[in-house]
Amino acid sequence: MELRSDIAIDIKNLNKSYPGRVALSDISFSVKKGSVHGFLGPNGAGKSTTMKILSGLIRQSSGEFVVNGKIGFLPEHPPLYPNMTVQDYLQFVLSIYAYQKNQKQLVLDVMEKTGLSHVADRLIGNLSKGYQQRVGIAQALVHSPEIIILDEPTVGLDPVAIADIRALITKLKNDHTIIFSTHQLHDVELLCSDITLINHGKIVVSGPLETILENLKTRMVINARVEQFNDSQKSEMIKKFPLESVEIISENEDKDKKKSINLKITANAPESFKKEMARFLAAENIGLLEFAEVRLDLEELFKRMIH
Amino acid sequence: MYIKKISILVKKELKDSFYSPLIYILTGLFCFMMGWLFFNYLMQAKTLTTVTMTQAVITPIFGNMNFIFVFLCPLLTMRTLAEERKQATLDLLLRSELSEMQIIIGKFISNAILVIFMLSFTFVFPLILAFSGYSDWGVVGSSYLGVLLSVMAYLSVGLFCSSLTDNQIVASLLTFCILLGSMLMVISVNATNNYLLALVVQYLTVPFHYEGFVRGVVHSYSLVYFASYLSFFFLLTLKSLQSRKW
Repeated sequence: MELRSDIAIDIKNLNKSYPGRVALSDISFSVKKGSVHGFLGPNGAGKSTTMKILSGLIRQSSGEFVVNGKIGFLPEHPPLYPNMTVQDYLQFVLSIYAYQKNQKQLVLDVMEKTGLSHVADRLIGNLSKGYQQRVGIAQALVHSPEIIILDEPTVGLDPVAIADIRALITKLKNDHTIIFSTHQLHDVELLCSDITLINHGKIVVSGPLETILENLKTRMVINARVEQFNDSQKSEMIKKFPLESVEIISENEDKDKKKSINLKITANAPESFKKEMARFLAAENIGLLEFAEVRLDLEELFKRMIH
Repeated sequence: MYIKKISILVKKELKDSFYSPLIYILTGLFCFMMGWLFFNYLMQAKTLTTVTMTQAVITPIFGNMNFIFVFLCPLLTMRTLAEERKQATLDLLLRSELSEMQIIIGKFISNAILVIFMLSFTFVFPLILAFSGYSDWGVVGSSYLGVLLSVMAYLSVGLFCSSLTDNQIVASLLTFCILLGSMLMVISVNATNNYLLALVVQYLTVPFHYEGFVRGVVHSYSLVYFASYLSFFFLLTLKSLQSRKW
């Protein structure tokens, strides 16, 4: 398998099965050199399995992948020795990964980069979870890899620590290709240039984030509140407009006992349909109270793709 | 470079062990038991006139020493790989430039050094005997060699059991069961009156070979036995580590 010079990782038809369970089914995607690639999916989708295969911790059942450079890996649970000091730990990791003469300077540089210099002599077990995560990232960086794989680096951290890790990833993205999995969709929108969405061991979508979000805009989701809405009105509406679905989300009653119904309308329709639809819903027998288009963001994509 | 990488791991393991109270507790316990036994055998030896000092003190003290290590080795090795599994640091080692065999050898050597540290306190016993004119150093030397080889065999079992689980107590109990089980097997087989089977099973157990060393006889087949024993359990540990990738 040959690798283009602008690609850091190329995965082709990767499969992984455990007895009685398929973890990955024929997944293929590539990661561009110098990009920050978000790896998304619900729990048990196959993200960690893919990352472990890429980092050499487990073997694939079939398929192949090519990696253009050394990999630094931060697993979901950072591999830390609580009884070692930060500096000793990084020194040890460097010496078992790549024995070099100027080890001490390399360790000092990584600690500087990851903001660990002031805790260099503290025991890892005594550090906060946020700092332990930083040490985890530092161990992935210490042997100067070209590619860094981070498996849910922000999981279980408080908002301040999450912001710190986010800033750290931003700092690293100039020098490394980064793949990271997360449930924080906000992080993905802020940091990633490309994403891959995986579910039930299969790739749902993969590519540049902008293109994926652009494609979503051809779909329209409208939240409307009306006074009444029955099945014949629903059929008439579906006949008239190119709708994907019309769902009654809830029925409410205010203090004056006036009823209202919340609708969610999904359409594969151009912008011009919006006005006509509003006019239709404003007709006397329906009674339009509210009409708003929902912006489809990554969260919406995530929800749609995994259901 | 192969040795260099192992020495990095050994150094780290020894530092960890000597910072932990476990090794000092075990050494204290071991010294107390051995000192107490030595004192008793020495007192008993005064009343025995037909046996030599080797028969009255050295042989029983080394016999007991070997048996005590059946209990101590599981405690020494229980954390070796089980703790690495629990802390997820085993993956850190497996991803490094260290091969699985280097990891096993490094862990084994560091445990063997701990045992030598514990044993070093018993050097005082032959020294005490030397003051009373004892000079059968060949037996003392072969007995120490026997203890060391036996304990190394126990450590290899402990290392294997520790690679199977991330629970240190399970690892230690499993090691203890295998070590004691293999000794008890000889008693069971002897009870069947099947001479050939008893001979084969006896040959497969550590005490049978250890006995020769304590008598001052170093059989070449015993050296082969210990080498095979270590290789077998190293191989099992290697397979256990490799199975993580499956």
